[in-house]
Amino acid sequence: MSARSLRITLTVLTVAGLGIAGYLTYVHYAEVQPVCTAGDSCIKVQSSVYSKLAGVPVALIGLLGYVSILGLLLARENENTRFAMMALTLVGFAFSGYLTYRELFSIHAICEWCATSAAILTVMAPLSVWRYLRHAPTLPTPRLYST
Amino acid sequence: MSRVKVQREPENLTRKQHRDHARARRKALQEAEVAAAVRQTRLRLLGIVVTVVAVGIVVVLLATGGNTKHGIPVSKAEQSSVVHEVSNEVGGIPQRANVLGEPTAPVTLQYFGDLECPVCRAFTLSALPSIIGRWVRGGELKIEYRSLETATREPEVFKAQQLAALAAGKQDRMWNFIETFYHEQGEEDSGYATESYIQGIASQVPGLDLTQWTSDRGDAALSSQLLSDGQAASAANLNGTPAFLIGRSGGTTSKLEPSSFTEPGSFNEAIAKLAKS
Repeated sequence: MSARSLRITLTVLTVAGLGIAGYLTYVHYAEVQPVCTAGDSCIKVQSSVYSKLAGVPVALIGLLGYVSILGLLLARENENTRFAMMALTLVGFAFSGYLTYRELFSIHAICEWCATSAAILTVMAPLSVWRYLRHAPTLPTPRLYST
Repeated sequence: MSRVKVQREPENLTRKQHRDHARARRKALQEAEVAAAVRQTRLRLLGIVVTVVAVGIVVVLLATGGNTKHGIPVSKAEQSSVVHEVSNEVGGIPQRANVLGEPTAPVTLQYFGDLECPVCRAFTLSALPSIIGRWVRGGELKIEYRSLETATREPEVFKAQQLAALAAGKQDRMWNFIETFYHEQGEEDSGYATESYIQGIASQVPGLDLTQWTSDRGDAALSSQLLSDGQAASAANLNGTPAFLIGRSGGTTSKLEPSSFTEPGSFNEAIAKLAKS
């Protein structure tokens, strides 16, 4: 996979995640019922004590995370942006893993929106690690010579 | 990666080629060294990030895990605080069996719950106080608490705790019992709802005659009520808790699907609409 197609893949995934997190943030603040095929599972998850972290809705935390990742993807690519992107997706992946654990073992309900976001981050995390590790290092400017 | 273009000079071809070859080897070696150093740095940074993230998640797990561990407080002061809070919420409101509110209230909300259900706890502690304060105290709403087994794994434990609540209802104190239970709910699936836990909840209900309560727990009529609650839930296609049926008192009820269990908005809207009709 070329660097360009990898970047495009990550951007598409980020935009999808952004849409989900944005929708869940809207649902939280607008106090409307989320579209959910699994009955009231989404409301249960959104109403649980785990839907907030230190008083901040996790949907909003996710939204800010995706916005930051998108910003890094759209910025001029360099070692720092690739590192920051990798770190952010790992944080997002771990956090969505924690939320899925809570859904399965504490709330006993699965929110399909959250599960989709977790799946997106599960794909993004290894891709961004690979992107960070595989990129050829920038070498010192070679001394050009001619005779 | 930069490429170096070298001009060939025919008169020094062999020596030049040799020099170029040596330069290319040096360059390749330098590139390899830089690449190895960069790779090592990246792997080290990746390791740091993974460690920090893992530690962060463990901290979050421990911090949020602690929030679910409630149970009956050990200190009398904390128990008094719960009793005080529950009394503030339901004190002075008429109770009869499983009903909280004026018997003549025009709107009835049926609340199907499982005492071990954490989302029911979230609803009872977050949205319910506001609903009780605004509508039940105002005489426009009465709430019927009905049982539906969801979170409690063992049917016999479910039956024991729900019968204990219904038995408190025989002394018109069921709402004190269930509110106290939810306030002091333990960690789900930890097997906390033992006989001594149930008695501990009952002992915090002001004015409850414990001898009478113990005797009433075996009342066959209460078991029938439990069964009837389950059948009503099935008939209304209620599969999870908390679940709600709402309607004009004495009339037909319909399922209320709130947008949130912790915010009273959807409930207020539905109650207001029915109260006006």
